[in-house]
Amino acid sequence: MTATLRYITCLALVISSTVISAAELTELHAYPSDIGLYNSRDRQTITVQAVFADGLTRDVTAEATITVADQNLIKLEGTTLAPTADGETTVSVAFGGKTLSLPVIIKDSAVTPELSFKLDIMPIFMKANCNTGSCHGAASGKDGFRLSLFGFDHAGDYQRVTREIGNRRINLAFPHESLMLTKATGAVPHTGGTRFRKDDSLYTLMHEWIDAGAVTDKTDIPTCTKIEVYPKSAVLDGQGATQKITVRAFYSNGTNRDVSHLAFFLSSNENSVIIDQDGTSTAQNRGEAFVMARFDTHTVGTHIIVLPKGLDFAWKEIPENNYVDTLLHEKFKKLRIIPSELCSDEEFLRRATLDITGRVPTVDEYNAFLADADPKKRDNLVDSLIGRKEFVELWVMKWAELLTIRTTNQISYKSMLLYYTWLQDKIANNVPMNVMVQDLLASNGGTFANAATNYYQNERDTLKVAENVAQVFMGMRIQCAQCHNHPFDRWTMDDYYSFAAFFSQIGRKSAEDPREIIVFNSGSGVVRHPVGNRVMEPKFLGGDTPDVQGKDRRQIMANWLASNENPYFARNLSNIVWAHFFGQGIINEVDDVRVSNPPVNVALLDTLASKFTEYNYDFKKIVRDICTSRAYQLSTGTNATNEKDTSNFSHAALRRMRAEIMLDAITQITSTSNKFPGLPNGARAVQIANGNTSTYFLTTFGRAKRETVCACEVKMEPNLSQALHMLNGDTVNSKIQQGKLIPTRLGEEVPIPQILEELYIRCLCRKPTEKELTNLVEIIAQEENKQQALEDTFWALLNSREFLFNH
Amino acid sequence: MFRSSPTPIKLASRAHSRSWMLLAATLCCLILATCVQAASPSLSLILPRGVQRGVENKISFRGARLDDAEEIFFYSPGFEVTNIEPSASAAVATVNIAADCRMGEHVAQVRTRSGITEFRTFWVGPFGATAEVEPNSSFEEPQKIALNTTVQGIVTNEDIDYYAVEVKAGQRISAEVEAMRLGTTLFDPYIAILDAKRFELSADDDTPLAKQDAVASTVAKEDGTYYVMIRESSYAGNGNCRYNLHIGTFPRPLAVYPAGGKLGEATEVKFLGDPAGVATQTVQLPTAVDPQFALFPQDEHGIAPSGNIFRLFEHGNSLETEPNNAVAEACAAELPNAFNGIIGEEKDADFFRFTAKKGQVFDIECFARRIRSPLDPVMNLYNATGGSLAGNDDSRGPDSYFRYTFPADGEYVLRVTDHLGRGGETFVYRVEFQPVTPSLALGIPRVARYSQSRQQIFVPRGNRYATLISASRSNFGGELQLQNDGLPTGVTMHVENMAANMSVMPVVFEAAADAPLAGALIKLSAKHTAENSNISGHFKNRADLVISAPGQSLYVFKDVEQLPIAVVEEVPFTLEIVQPKVPLVRTGVMNLKVIAHRKEGYTKAITLQLPFRPPGVGTRSTVVIPEGKNEAIYPLNASGSAQIRTWPIYVLGSADIGGTGWVSSQLATLEIAEPFVTFAMERASVEQGLETQIFCKLNHATPFDGTATVQILGLPAKVTTTNMEFNKDTKELVFNIKTDKTSPAGKHTNVFAQITITKDGEPMTSRAATTQLQIDKPLPPPKNAPPKPKPMPMPMAVAVAPKPAPKPMAKPLTRLEKLRLAAQQRTNPEPAGSEE
Repeated sequence: MTATLRYITCLALVISSTVISAAELTELHAYPSDIGLYNSRDRQTITVQAVFADGLTRDVTAEATITVADQNLIKLEGTTLAPTADGETTVSVAFGGKTLSLPVIIKDSAVTPELSFKLDIMPIFMKANCNTGSCHGAASGKDGFRLSLFGFDHAGDYQRVTREIGNRRINLAFPHESLMLTKATGAVPHTGGTRFRKDDSLYTLMHEWIDAGAVTDKTDIPTCTKIEVYPKSAVLDGQGATQKITVRAFYSNGTNRDVSHLAFFLSSNENSVIIDQDGTSTAQNRGEAFVMARFDTHTVGTHIIVLPKGLDFAWKEIPENNYVDTLLHEKFKKLRIIPSELCSDEEFLRRATLDITGRVPTVDEYNAFLADADPKKRDNLVDSLIGRKEFVELWVMKWAELLTIRTTNQISYKSMLLYYTWLQDKIANNVPMNVMVQDLLASNGGTFANAATNYYQNERDTLKVAENVAQVFMGMRIQCAQCHNHPFDRWTMDDYYSFAAFFSQIGRKSAEDPREIIVFNSGSGVVRHPVGNRVMEPKFLGGDTPDVQGKDRRQIMANWLASNENPYFARNLSNIVWAHFFGQGIINEVDDVRVSNPPVNVALLDTLASKFTEYNYDFKKIVRDICTSRAYQLSTGTNATNEKDTSNFSHAALRRMRAEIMLDAITQITSTSNKFPGLPNGARAVQIANGNTSTYFLTTFGRAKRETVCACEVKMEPNLSQALHMLNGDTVNSKIQQGKLIPTRLGEEVPIPQILEELYIRCLCRKPTEKELTNLVEIIAQEENKQQALEDTFWALLNSREFLFNH
Repeated sequence: MFRSSPTPIKLASRAHSRSWMLLAATLCCLILATCVQAASPSLSLILPRGVQRGVENKISFRGARLDDAEEIFFYSPGFEVTNIEPSASAAVATVNIAADCRMGEHVAQVRTRSGITEFRTFWVGPFGATAEVEPNSSFEEPQKIALNTTVQGIVTNEDIDYYAVEVKAGQRISAEVEAMRLGTTLFDPYIAILDAKRFELSADDDTPLAKQDAVASTVAKEDGTYYVMIRESSYAGNGNCRYNLHIGTFPRPLAVYPAGGKLGEATEVKFLGDPAGVATQTVQLPTAVDPQFALFPQDEHGIAPSGNIFRLFEHGNSLETEPNNAVAEACAAELPNAFNGIIGEEKDADFFRFTAKKGQVFDIECFARRIRSPLDPVMNLYNATGGSLAGNDDSRGPDSYFRYTFPADGEYVLRVTDHLGRGGETFVYRVEFQPVTPSLALGIPRVARYSQSRQQIFVPRGNRYATLISASRSNFGGELQLQNDGLPTGVTMHVENMAANMSVMPVVFEAAADAPLAGALIKLSAKHTAENSNISGHFKNRADLVISAPGQSLYVFKDVEQLPIAVVEEVPFTLEIVQPKVPLVRTGVMNLKVIAHRKEGYTKAITLQLPFRPPGVGTRSTVVIPEGKNEAIYPLNASGSAQIRTWPIYVLGSADIGGTGWVSSQLATLEIAEPFVTFAMERASVEQGLETQIFCKLNHATPFDGTATVQILGLPAKVTTTNMEFNKDTKELVFNIKTDKTSPAGKHTNVFAQITITKDGEPMTSRAATTQLQIDKPLPPPKNAPPKPKPMPMPMAVAVAPKPAPKPMAKPLTRLEKLRLAAQQRTNPEPAGSEE
């Protein structure tokens, strides 16, 4: 390389590295904001983040000037602080004209504590991926060595590491020859390959622990109470931008430490952000990612947005109908997204009628709404639709799915129907959701006499009942924690079994009628933890341990669960309601709430939840808020800024109609009727009480069988058999024939264009375009059999994507 | 016994009215070989399902093979049959029902000339009947009826029936439906009384008073039309969902308090839960216990169509006095009175304090649901200071029961609560302390599930029929003697006493050739044969009327206490067991000979069963006397622990006589005895291709004449021996066992001897204990064994040694001895070339 070329390259590098955001520096953050060093081993790395006026952030740790006030107390090694003497001092961080001062406390700087198996060695297994399900965490271990999956059983792991196969895993005489080290460094053949190198801090830790005798932990070691991940958020400017992530753990003895080197990092969206195990996150494509760190049983994340480099964006003021819009717009601003325009009145009428009542608008409703000049007509429509019986029926159906209302070997048709009727009464009478859920979960009595008890007849396994309650009412899948601590969530086996203990005293006995069971509080029964077989005291999931002595455990659980003391209940129900109207939840799937699946808009979900609580759990009001928001009324069309957005609700989503609604729509449009078992002729598919009652059409279009509480039971994905059934099956065509709409109109001598217009309004809630009308009239004019031609048109409309989708 | 009329109605014109039907039946038989035309009549439904008392009713007994119906058996008094019009599918009887006939469920069955049907139920009520007339399926289109009417209708699939009545202000409207109770099918009704604005004034799906059936009652606030609606509770009716819906002004209280009283005494009771308020009444109680006894609420506006169950007890009542909600507040009660109370409100608990004596043992029974109270009682017994002694929730269905022996003289406290802490005006209960008494119940073991098949006795003229009678004894044991209270003329009963260790006994009924074709409901009873014992019990039978999911649950049943018995038309064969002269010995087998005496020309196959098998005796479930043959062998075998005794046995035969005809043999005897001789067989072992011996030591228990034969059975393939004979003096036998080189190697453990001793010309066959024959493969030659000498190339003449005289047979070595010898030979091999 010539000197000139070298010079140019250097210049280019300098230029590129010194290109900083053109915007002004507005904030400077240094993490952590206060520093504690509690023994000679303790280190703390400082991360500095600059926030600019255009919202972009940058990791400026390397460029910032870090100075220690009292250098006798701490030593600065790059950006890492190490203790030298006890005392208090400050560290100042300066960048771009701003300076921050971070207080530092140093204690026991001369004390070098023994390494602890639980606190220092167990994290290595997680960090180095030793205890995953595909490695030694498998139920039967791997290659003869087993660790508890994600470290749920540290006592067992200690036993296996130190006591199994003599002194091979741990060689106290020659620590460096311990298999724990030789395998991990690849010095001896290891199926899992090299996990760390000899110069790695993980090696040093492990070696030191073995060298010190691989002693068992003292009984009073502190426990990790929480972890924090820094920075709290980041908006990265273009591909390749990096941000260092650090993790600090807090312990029960009041100390904390930097555990970045021991934490396991992962990204929720590697298309936008990748993170390596050093904690360096690197921006990729435009988008958002939740970057998480897992340490001990805790998983905590930070939200990172990646924008295209040098994006030119200007927010324009957009009207806000209510808090929903305000909170969405705040997020749009961060994402540099302009939401779509409002949809047309025709689109809104169809969308709202389908979503709120599960029906398509009639011709009269269409004409009335379009003719209405009231600027508030959309709000009025929402109000009138919410007041209709069909609104209740739709939500009864959705709840019936969550409560898995269906006949089984245990549940007779009568029980099922009484259970359904119970649900219908509650929703029809607008019983607050919390009261309904409390009545359900605390129910006692006969399955006929108090049909809510069918909830406990449907599922009789204590653990499954607990799982179902968590999934339906809190949106959490805690199943994983039955066998191991949840790897991507906060739930430990202790949490799981303590929550299940609320359901350990459900008594069931036969009633006089062989079909009926009496559910009662048996007052005895416990849940035991499979590790150690200890009796678990009932503890709210993520909450307190209440006094249950002599009380009905389910009553106590229900009172907590369906209340604002439970942070998940209102959020979960709001999210379920939201997902109904937008096709996906703010947390998606709605029953997959976990740390590693954060809401796309935390503020919105929190506000919806607090409103729901404020409304005394009247979900009609939440529905009204959602449906009258501007966000709900957006067009499906996109603009350049939001065309790739699929999760932030910046435009309306195309949603296939669900099975029941589609059948009801076809039935309504063709003026025909259906007969379902147990329901009078003409009843709608939405009204079917029994999950086991289905038809070929409903099954093909993915009606929930209500076998599980999973939100995934309703299949919304289009597939080939659906298309073929619509085209060739016996539903669409025979309903067109049965309904006799075309012969009736022809008999009434209605002109062809008017018939066509009616068909368009019936099927698509719009009039045909000029071109459509001209073409169709022309084609039909050429046909001898007008009825046939019109019926073909009808058939084609019902097979159009415009009909099949709610848009 | 209650019967329609003392003499059955004979129908002189029957033959000619039946002629075309017989033709049809014959044709039917030609088409369907199994078609039954005469015997085995059946009754499937009695219509109408409800009849009014005090009037003449036409009741149709529907079923099959009823064209020779002669008589209706009613299980309770109040029915007089004046005419029967039989046809193949129904017997229509004209019945006068007495005005004082007990209301509620009644039982009847049909006797034909050739058999007796199942029994079925029907209901007697106070009101005249109106048939449902469709369309009445909407509120706008109700069927108008008069008050105090019973509507007889059917709820079809998703059907709702509406009835409209005109009512004055202040008038009570009550509705009660018999649907599930009718025992026709699983029909769980829902009823409601609605006003003209469609408001449900009273509605009911299930009520403890009527189980799945429903009662509703309200007082009209204004004059006008009121509606009674009935449907299936989950809209799942069908053509069999028949109902009797009583609509009127009658009182319909839900409970009576106290719900029991002392036999023969006048007792004041309150009827609770009626919308018109509490009614107090004094009733004179009967002097004999009647488990079906009920009080029918009645006032000037009418009488309820079903009663409130009322316990008749030999002691009086102690009634609770509130407050009695804690041990300290327990109200005083006195044994042996029954304790009565009401769990009046939620979380109510009733405590009774009473004195008991040391050693008193009581069955403490809480009657709540059994007297149709909503209460699901929980009973707890405490000592005077509240220490817990005993308790129970559900031992008697929802009701509570426990047996308790009081440990000391003193005060005790009994608490009654509801299991779910519920309470209310009608939550009545009653606790009876009953001394532990022996009880006995007889029955006929079922031959088919859910069926009344052969739960009746029908004896062909000049022939026999037999059944097993089972006895369930509780709180006692011992021998039982069977009794009856009057068999039909010409019928005799052959039975022996039932041994203390037996729970079934065979009973043979025999009808004289000239016995009149007649029948009766008899009271069959048994008594304990021990001296001074007055323990007795009688026959009970249960019909399973409604069975449905889950798991074939029994929803509706009917118990009866009389046994129908009838003399029926002749059957063209009789059966006879050839009485065996020798016993069936333990471990032995016997061929029991059964002879069929056929009428001229009757050749059909006869299927035999041996329903009664003495303990330890086994046999085949059926044996057939083939068509045209007159005898069959019923092979019996006895286990080693078969009970030694002489037992009564019989053979039951059935054959196609144009329907299935059943007859039995006489009551024969079967003696079970110890084997006359037993064998002790030693184990043997042999190498393939060699011979061995099995030694047997004989142990004579009973001397016998002549010679017996013994045969070794169970030998493996390619192993042979010869049969041997022995007499009463033989002490030992040795069997020579020959094997083949291909005889299967291994331990053959099922080798046994079968001994046949002939006595009085009949064989007695028994089986001796099994032994083991071990067949070994020859050992391979040792590796370092010297090679076999080759044959000499040139034979040399040698002097032929004289054959040694055969040695007397030495006792062969046992397996153990052989092993020892082999071991010895291994450790001390004989020096080569040593001399013998």
